[in-house]
Amino acid sequence: MTDSLGQQKPVNIKAQLQACRSKEETFKALVTLSKTLPRLSVEEKTEDNKVKGCESAVWLIMEENDGLRHFKADSDAKLMRGVLVALLSLVEGKTLADIQQMDLKAELAELNLSSYLTSSRTNGVLAILNKINTI
Amino acid sequence: MAFDPSSLRHLFPILAQSAYDHPLTYLDNAATTQKPLPVLDAIQDYYRSFNANVHRGAHFLSDRATNRFEQARDTIASFINAPEQSHVIWTKGATEAINTVAFGLEHLLEKGDEILITSLEHHANLVPWQQLAFRTGARLRILPLTSNGKWEPEFSHYFTDRTRIFAATQISNAIGVSTPLQTMLDHAKQQGAFTLVDGAQAVAHYPIDVQILDCDFYVFSGHKMYGPTGIGVLYGKSHALEVLLPYQTGGEMVRHVSYQATEFNVLPYRLEAGTPHIEGVIGLAAACDFLNAQDRLSLLAWEQSLATHVYSRLHKEGGIEIYSPEKNTTLVSLSVPNIHILDLNAYLDSQGVAVRAGSHCAHPLMAQLGVAGTLRASFACYNTMEEANRFCDVLLEAIDLLNDE
Ligand SMILES: Cc1ncc(COP(=O)(O)O)c(C=O)c1O
Repeated sequence: MTDSLGQQKPVNIKAQLQACRSKEETFKALVTLSKTLPRLSVEEKTEDNKVKGCESAVWLIMEENDGLRHFKADSDAKLMRGVLVALLSLVEGKTLADIQQMDLKAELAELNLSSYLTSSRTNGVLAILNKINTI
Repeated sequence: MAFDPSSLRHLFPILAQSAYDHPLTYLDNAATTQKPLPVLDAIQDYYRSFNANVHRGAHFLSDRATNRFEQARDTIASFINAPEQSHVIWTKGATEAINTVAFGLEHLLEKGDEILITSLEHHANLVPWQQLAFRTGARLRILPLTSNGKWEPEFSHYFTDRTRIFAATQISNAIGVSTPLQTMLDHAKQQGAFTLVDGAQAVAHYPIDVQILDCDFYVFSGHKMYGPTGIGVLYGKSHALEVLLPYQTGGEMVRHVSYQATEFNVLPYRLEAGTPHIEGVIGLAAACDFLNAQDRLSLLAWEQSLATHVYSRLHKEGGIEIYSPEKNTTLVSLSVPNIHILDLNAYLDSQGVAVRAGSHCAHPLMAQLGVAGTLRASFACYNTMEEANRFCDVLLEAIDLLNDE
């Protein structure tokens, strides 16, 4: 696998998204980011791993090593995969306590992604945040 | 001469704005239409000059409000050619109107009775019947659209001597297909069934005559026909309304109350518990006046020509699947294999183009089409040919951007 999440430095993602001056630029940046998300296998896309409440299908998997949390995620919608790249870059490798202290909504808003937070009916990023905090 | 939308577009000030630095292109009219100035003015005027509760205090303002409120009932009655204004019941929308009927007829249903609907129904004309079936032991039956989007040539066998209720939409909100209503209603009536027509997607586009349709109930929402939200109509024939048990009780709908018993008021009040949505009623009447002042058939022809134009531009594009008919519809519902409709929608939105991506409150229909949802562009009288073209252009751009290789 050539693309891996590790190659996209969080700072880089942050800079890329913060540089967007319009909805269109954010759209294009998310499309670009989406290509860096390693896709989940069919076996990993279980009902259990599915995030309820998203109109696009979203799966989220967490593995904990020595208290540090590592995430994998996928979606059938491309922009959502871009959002997931941004979101996971914020929480990757942190402890549960650290994650729970973060204001992920505010951090996503800083990345120009607040319009993805408004309506849980259409994209369910809030449902994903919820799962990240409770998984 | 062809209809020119600029003749009335200036009446819709909301359309003259930009969205993310692009001209706002509003093509989500099947969800709700924008409201013309006369409707906005009527609502303002109500609060500025005659706000009072109706049918109550005998005083100057209350008399004015009550008069205008009941005049509005006349306006709506003639808008759908109801024989009498008492046949027009105010509801908060199509959904509440259908629920009023579903609860009101419950006492007449028995185990084994059949409720027949079509496979095109919005959840609003499905779930209330399904739940009624659960409560009564009746059977919910579905008259399906075949896989090629046509009706079976022979569907009379769906109507049986157990069919007690037949409820069907006039036009599908999800894919714009019309139902062969008259034939279906004839079959239903031959079996002695109550008939309900969901006109939510029809009233903004088609002149409606409930006496020609000859259904027992006709329902619609004001907000889809240039009127305010929160107001809708249940029309019923008198015998049909008379048998409905009120599903809400309270003030306004009573004639005399003691601790032992209540004597209900006459129609239409018997089915209108509580203080009504007065500003909504006033605004809806103004929306009817607005439509009555237009040449309705030329508006319809224009809206259909926009949908047909979009259809003809897009159906040849590799990969776009269109679920709407080519002609005689005012919307285009489509999907693109391997591209998520939410992704398409996000790009359209970034360019100021407002459409609807989703299942359109019709999960079973989407399942039948084999898609999770569709992207729907739906037209109203103020939409221009430039907007129809812009939708096509931006959609094709989106497909380019989102296609993998
Ligand atoms: C065909 C149809 N029926 C019923 C409804 C429900 O209307 P409302 O939500 O205004 O009650 C809609 C609204 O989308 C519709 O399109």
